[in-house]
Amino acid sequence: MQLNAPVRPAASRSRLGAAACALIASAATAVARADGGATTQLEAATLIYGEQNRTDVVEPLLRITRVRPGGQSLSAQIGLDVITGASPTGASPSGKVQTTTTPSGNVETTSASEIPTTSFEDIRGSLDLDWTRPLGALVSPALGMHISREKDYQSLGANATLALSLLHRRTTLTFGGGLNRDRVFPIGGIVEGLTPVVATGGGGGEGVEAAEAEEAASTGVIAADKNVTSALVGVSQVVTRRWLVGLSASRTVEDGYLTEPYKVLSVLDIGGYPISSLHEKRPSSRKRTSLLASSVYHFGIDVLNASYRAYGDDWGVQSHTVELRLRHDLTGGDRWVEPHVRWYWQHAADFFRFSLNEGDPLPDFASSDARIGSIRTATLGAACGFRLGSYPGEFSVRAEYLAQWGDGHPADAVGVQRTLDLMPPVSTGSLMLGYSVGW
Amino acid sequence: MKVHPARELAVALLLAALGALASGCAATAVKPWDRDLLAQKKMQFAPSPLQYSIDQHTYFSREGSTGGLNVGGGGCGCN
Repeated sequence: MQLNAPVRPAASRSRLGAAACALIASAATAVARADGGATTQLEAATLIYGEQNRTDVVEPLLRITRVRPGGQSLSAQIGLDVITGASPTGASPSGKVQTTTTPSGNVETTSASEIPTTSFEDIRGSLDLDWTRPLGALVSPALGMHISREKDYQSLGANATLALSLLHRRTTLTFGGGLNRDRVFPIGGIVEGLTPVVATGGGGGEGVEAAEAEEAASTGVIAADKNVTSALVGVSQVVTRRWLVGLSASRTVEDGYLTEPYKVLSVLDIGGYPISSLHEKRPSSRKRTSLLASSVYHFGIDVLNASYRAYGDDWGVQSHTVELRLRHDLTGGDRWVEPHVRWYWQHAADFFRFSLNEGDPLPDFASSDARIGSIRTATLGAACGFRLGSYPGEFSVRAEYLAQWGDGHPADAVGVQRTLDLMPPVSTGSLMLGYSVGW
Repeated sequence: MKVHPARELAVALLLAALGALASGCAATAVKPWDRDLLAQKKMQFAPSPLQYSIDQHTYFSREGSTGGLNVGGGGCGCN
């Protein structure tokens, strides 16, 4: 039993014991056992994120963790998400100028070959609380709650995890569950899926016809619920003095209003030109499964953090994610650099389609949202950490480039759509500034 | 469920991960005094919970997948 090891002071023994429990829920516990007295850890970060000709995000967050000598810890994390810019509407590009109407009634035009977008702005505030209270040396339960609010969405959630250390703390089992009760209240209210959108296809939407379309789409309901239930089972294993591996499986069930309220699809004529738009429609339930394999290996100075995630859901979306980080400590250990690469491959949902054709029967569900389409994402970046003179704590800077693209020339494209890239690449740059300090 | 070429790679990698876990169970115990490297913060799967949450949120808003080291977490109207 490691707590009886004769050659280590108590504080060090405790710190070593915490190492095997490396799932994220136990991170605060590790801080707790690093000191014989109560400690406080403060971490702050700001993400500045910009998509080419699309969305810009500024996201400052602050996390503070108070740890008592017995390992009990309480963390609070607050965040703000300021979003501005433009987002694809889901409508098809064409050889004509397109006009769309924002939920607030503004009319916007898009040039002939562009993916139609609509401008928006939003602010999201969030608060997360986590509480961990070890029961003895081998059992560590934790509770968490979440609340966030934005202009048209509210999320309330709670979760619980239990970590068990086994086999001389070489193995840690983690069990967790979470519930979210979210609420969607789109501008303009809940609309019926696959019903006409007002003001589409070259400036339409005039008079009686527009009013009738609007009435047909509106359900008269201003808000809808979205419930999310999730469960996780994980195991982490100390393989050698230098190597830690983990495997976790999660299952998430969503039900309720899962449609994107502002996304539309174009209806195309035989020449491939949009003649109208319909609101998208998605199933009212979704079952997601993911499996994550992680490895952290210490080479002596460098540390390689590698992970692979397989994901699938009953909408037909499947994905594979590979991520590598290599941390290299520079002389003295006060400075470090960490290159990062991530590759993401996604297979489209069964009901994903770029558009609908005039005269064809309506499908049960349809969405042209690229995020459930066939896409690839590549991320390349690097971070560095350093201390500034006599100032306490550590500063960090991270810059990343993200490219996302997909198959924009589907075999079933019609008419003029065959000549267009329906899913052009999107480039994103981000800068994250971080600071952490403990006392 | 449809069959995709990348699935074979996924299965191979997951089997490798399970093999590593199994070998860890069979390995000689890593004594407490040998855990100096493992105890370092950078040896955690997610050394910074704050930055991990930011990354998860960013990818969630751009992609159709979720799931990772933790359970629950914040819902968002971004996707």
